[in-house]
Amino acid sequence: MSFDFVEPVVFAVLAFGVIGAGAAVVLLDRITASALLMALTFLCMAGMFVLLGAETIAAFQVLIYVGAITVLILFGVQFTKQGGDRSYALFFQKQYPLAAALVAAVAIPVALFAFSFTAPVPQPGGGDIRPLATSVFTDYAFAFEVASVLLLAAMVGAIVLTTRDQREEAARRRT
Amino acid sequence: MTVPLGAYIAVSAGLFFIGCAGVLVRRNAVVILMCVELMLNAANLALVAFSRRFGAVDQRGSVFVIFVFVIAAAEVAVGLAIVLSAYRNRPVIDVDEIRTMKG
Repeated sequence: MSFDFVEPVVFAVLAFGVIGAGAAVVLLDRITASALLMALTFLCMAGMFVLLGAETIAAFQVLIYVGAITVLILFGVQFTKQGGDRSYALFFQKQYPLAAALVAAVAIPVALFAFSFTAPVPQPGGGDIRPLATSVFTDYAFAFEVASVLLLAAMVGAIVLTTRDQREEAARRRT
Repeated sequence: MTVPLGAYIAVSAGLFFIGCAGVLVRRNAVVILMCVELMLNAANLALVAFSRRFGAVDQRGSVFVIFVFVIAAAEVAVGLAIVLSAYRNRPVIDVDEIRTMKG
């Protein structure tokens, strides 16, 4: 059985996820939903990197974008009061049988398909991490160091900008 | 049967357009930061796609993607800090309302 059709199908699903979730980030009114859909966009983008053969970049994408940046954005959402809050219940939290049927309908074919693969022969060379690391630590070593200084400056800047000034706070409380 | 390069570039352009439209249309400062992240990610996809199809063995396009990650992390950290400190002075999140420094 040939698996030639897998790559275009996976690409179509991922492209739909990227464009659909990206459009929903802009169009949705609820900002928490926007932030979580942004995480979904980044996750689909990581899948695209895997399809392109850049596994290391995909791993960084999941670590930095899906992990760190989404959490940071969610913190920003929490710290600023958002207008137009409305309480809402998730549909599938109430409709258990429907949710179970949907999960089974999706999960069982996917699991059957996934287990139909045989273990591939591991390729020597370690994927794309070796050429990447060679480039970063030889030709781009200076840029790498500058990037680390930039991150340090950004961290210090973020701390300075968000630290409350004690005297200013006291003065505001007095008035 | 592999996916053509143009398909990746089309997805990248579409996501960049969405992010650009979001920056121009939305007025919530946090959503604008999210849309900037979307645009950076679209550029990353184009970089990786071109690097994979045309690049040499050393994958320099992927190296640039790593630097874009660093810039994006620094940008969102400082951007959110600015939004929060502006919010603390006057509790508005709408960028049209934040015009204290306007001449």
